[in-house]
Amino acid sequence: MTDKNKSKTKGKHLKKYEPQMNMCIRCAYCFESCPIVKETQWDTDGARGKVILSYGLLTGDLEPSQYIADKFFRCTFCRDCVERCPSKVDILDIISSARAELVEAGFASETHKHIVDNIKNTGNIYGDTEVISQERDGKTPLFIGCQYLGRPNKTKKYIKILEKLGFEPLVSKEICCGFPMEVLGFREEYEEHKKKFKKYFPHENAITLCPTCTVFLNEGHNIDAKHVLQVILEKIPKANLGLKVTYHDPCDFSRGLKIIEEPREILKKLGVEIVEMEHSRENSRCCGGGGGILMTDQKLSDNIAKKRIYEALETEVEILVTSCPTCETVLKKAAQEISEEEGKTISVRNIEDIIWMGLKNVEAS
Amino acid sequence: MKSLDIKKLRDIVGEENIRDNLADLYVYSSDASVHSSMPNVVVRPGSTQEVQKILRYANKNRIPVIPRGAGSGMSGQTVPIDGGIVLDMKRMNKILEIRPEDVLCKVEPGVINDELNRVLEPYGFFFPPTPSSGKICTIGGMIGTNASGNRSVKYGATRDAVLGMKVVLANGDLVTLGSNTKVDSSGYQLAKLMVGSEGTLGVVVEATLLISPLPKYRAMGIANFKTLEDAGKMISSVIAAGVTPSMLELMDHVAITAVNKAQNLDLPDVAAIVIFECNGMTKEAVDYEINQIKEISRKNNGTGVKVTDDPDEMTRIYAGRKKLFPSLSRYREKLYTTALADDMAVPMSKIADTVKKIHEIAERNNIVMSAYGHCGAGLIHTKILMDTSEKSQWEGAKKAVKEIYEYVHKIGGTTSGEHGIGFSKGPSFKQEKKDSLDMMRKIKQALDPNNILNPHKLMDSPDDWLTATPLRYQIKDL
Repeated sequence: MTDKNKSKTKGKHLKKYEPQMNMCIRCAYCFESCPIVKETQWDTDGARGKVILSYGLLTGDLEPSQYIADKFFRCTFCRDCVERCPSKVDILDIISSARAELVEAGFASETHKHIVDNIKNTGNIYGDTEVISQERDGKTPLFIGCQYLGRPNKTKKYIKILEKLGFEPLVSKEICCGFPMEVLGFREEYEEHKKKFKKYFPHENAITLCPTCTVFLNEGHNIDAKHVLQVILEKIPKANLGLKVTYHDPCDFSRGLKIIEEPREILKKLGVEIVEMEHSRENSRCCGGGGGILMTDQKLSDNIAKKRIYEALETEVEILVTSCPTCETVLKKAAQEISEEEGKTISVRNIEDIIWMGLKNVEAS
Repeated sequence: MKSLDIKKLRDIVGEENIRDNLADLYVYSSDASVHSSMPNVVVRPGSTQEVQKILRYANKNRIPVIPRGAGSGMSGQTVPIDGGIVLDMKRMNKILEIRPEDVLCKVEPGVINDELNRVLEPYGFFFPPTPSSGKICTIGGMIGTNASGNRSVKYGATRDAVLGMKVVLANGDLVTLGSNTKVDSSGYQLAKLMVGSEGTLGVVVEATLLISPLPKYRAMGIANFKTLEDAGKMISSVIAAGVTPSMLELMDHVAITAVNKAQNLDLPDVAAIVIFECNGMTKEAVDYEINQIKEISRKNNGTGVKVTDDPDEMTRIYAGRKKLFPSLSRYREKLYTTALADDMAVPMSKIADTVKKIHEIAERNNIVMSAYGHCGAGLIHTKILMDTSEKSQWEGAKKAVKEIYEYVHKIGGTTSGEHGIGFSKGPSFKQEKKDSLDMMRKIKQALDPNNILNPHKLMDSPDDWLTATPLRYQIKDL
């Protein structure tokens, strides 16, 4: 039998998950629709592989290395494995803890370091000191998030939508929720950032625009955060846009927050017919943009996104709607490439565009 | 074993399909069993020709080759005890032919069971073996272990659905075995021999499979029993009455308690629950069989007998059985599920006695065991729940496994019903089949004289599974 008594890593982050790793019965059910395994077909790239590698790092069977780090950063955090796991192992916590071990052992990627430095120095992932936060007085705290701060026109649109529907959003200068630090394994930096975040955003509840920020405000900061679509659902008027679309469920929505019906109900109220893709709702396939993979393995991310666009094309509609800015960006790029290469086209739109069109439609009529 | 020429293998499969990094080898050192042992290299062939080239090279140089599908086997079939080449077959995943008029299909070994069924559905057919790992397990793996599942009571196991195959032998030769017909009286049934051979006789590169028409109607029921004996009698009476349920599943009291605790399902606090399902082409035919089962349940003191054909209600009834596996993992803190003595099959009339015996042995050896499974086919699944960090628990498990199998063999049962032997069950298997081990070894010697194909499995497995390889757990004082 093996001598697994000495650990070559600190195991600081992984130790508490040892029972979870033992709970993993290694059944491989997590392979079923893992976007990475579907692409590479290597067992090492699936959740089971990552749990085994984590166990190796914890027990000292494996030493941290760049090769292992690259494996751990090959994950979109799409939560599909979590849904499939019959033993309900906290797979994402294990992966992010292993990432933390690897980062502390000196195996962080330069791109990820750059993002974390941006957050530390400027408060947002883009390192943009001129970010317009569109501050305004109001009653309900609105957390915009880096992705929307970097897309000021979209933010403006959502704020106008909220105001048109009778909300009074309170917008103040904000900093990143810190999710990138946590998910990329920069835990010390995140703990520091968390204290700072509280000062900028001292609220106990919030409306949010980004699905990932919504999850993380709840889980990481204990803030009662509701996504804007949950909040405005009841107030959306009936419109008659007459569009036929397919809807891509962002992973943090359908599997993280279980927000599945709300966007569909909103679209239906606005007179939009939805043609579902083969994999939708909690079984939605990943767009390929999450977990930091977009920054470290663009080709893999592109391939995953293209698969999703091919699935959308099978619905034979002209528009794919989603409700996450990252999904939108990644899928738009994939759709553009497929259009150029094969002449098959589908337009990728974010749901706020459709809501805005719907409200205009109501005003016009 | 001579040293491996990685470059040679790389030339065969290409850079993208070979890994010898320690991290990859570590991942491929285990499957869903308790064991672990590192290969020297993992290779993914993409064609029959590549498999032939790899085997020719390995045979010449006496290098072990371990074929692997999804790596979801529970008995260590794909754990490379002597290292060597792990042959990951998932790249060979094409469905080659679907011939509804001949009621067959031809597939490569890396095709996933449910993917095959997804493709067969529009033709109105399905591939009958239904392992619970169907969403990820490969046809090659199913052939290797003669897998089955909860519908084996009606449709049998993989062997019953394999008509023929193409196999690469240890020396790299390609042979075609079996036929395209349901009946075959033409000499030795070598295709059937390959099923369940766990990669020790050849590498399957193509399989011809019998498919079945999809049933148009199904109904499901549940019955509760105050004693295991009554549940056991009900199960054997159903089969003896000539009824052919498509599912006949037992859950014992430990299983019921685990599900209630973990999932809040509020199943009745009884000694056993039996879940049954019938399917067919007409409602009348299904209702007739369901009514027979209801009657037999009542005659055997079954209470709370409920039957439905509502899909949602059927899902609800089966939820307890479906959620049993994850529930066992959460049964008690620090007790982890291990796949040991996990799939014995016994004569139908001995099911209740066997389940009682399992609990008695578990208690005596200070471990927790649950019994459930496809009892309509005589198959009992057990899981040993234990603190895997404690040496004494492993020693207790080893004793329990031995005692359970001694009992199973004494009553005329067999070591494995559907998961196969690997080497977790080696000692018991060798005990059970002691009269035919020599015959098996001669077959192996004839087909694989250099013993390169998955060595140390089945009849050649080590005498002590506990020390055969490192276990994949951290164990104190071991």
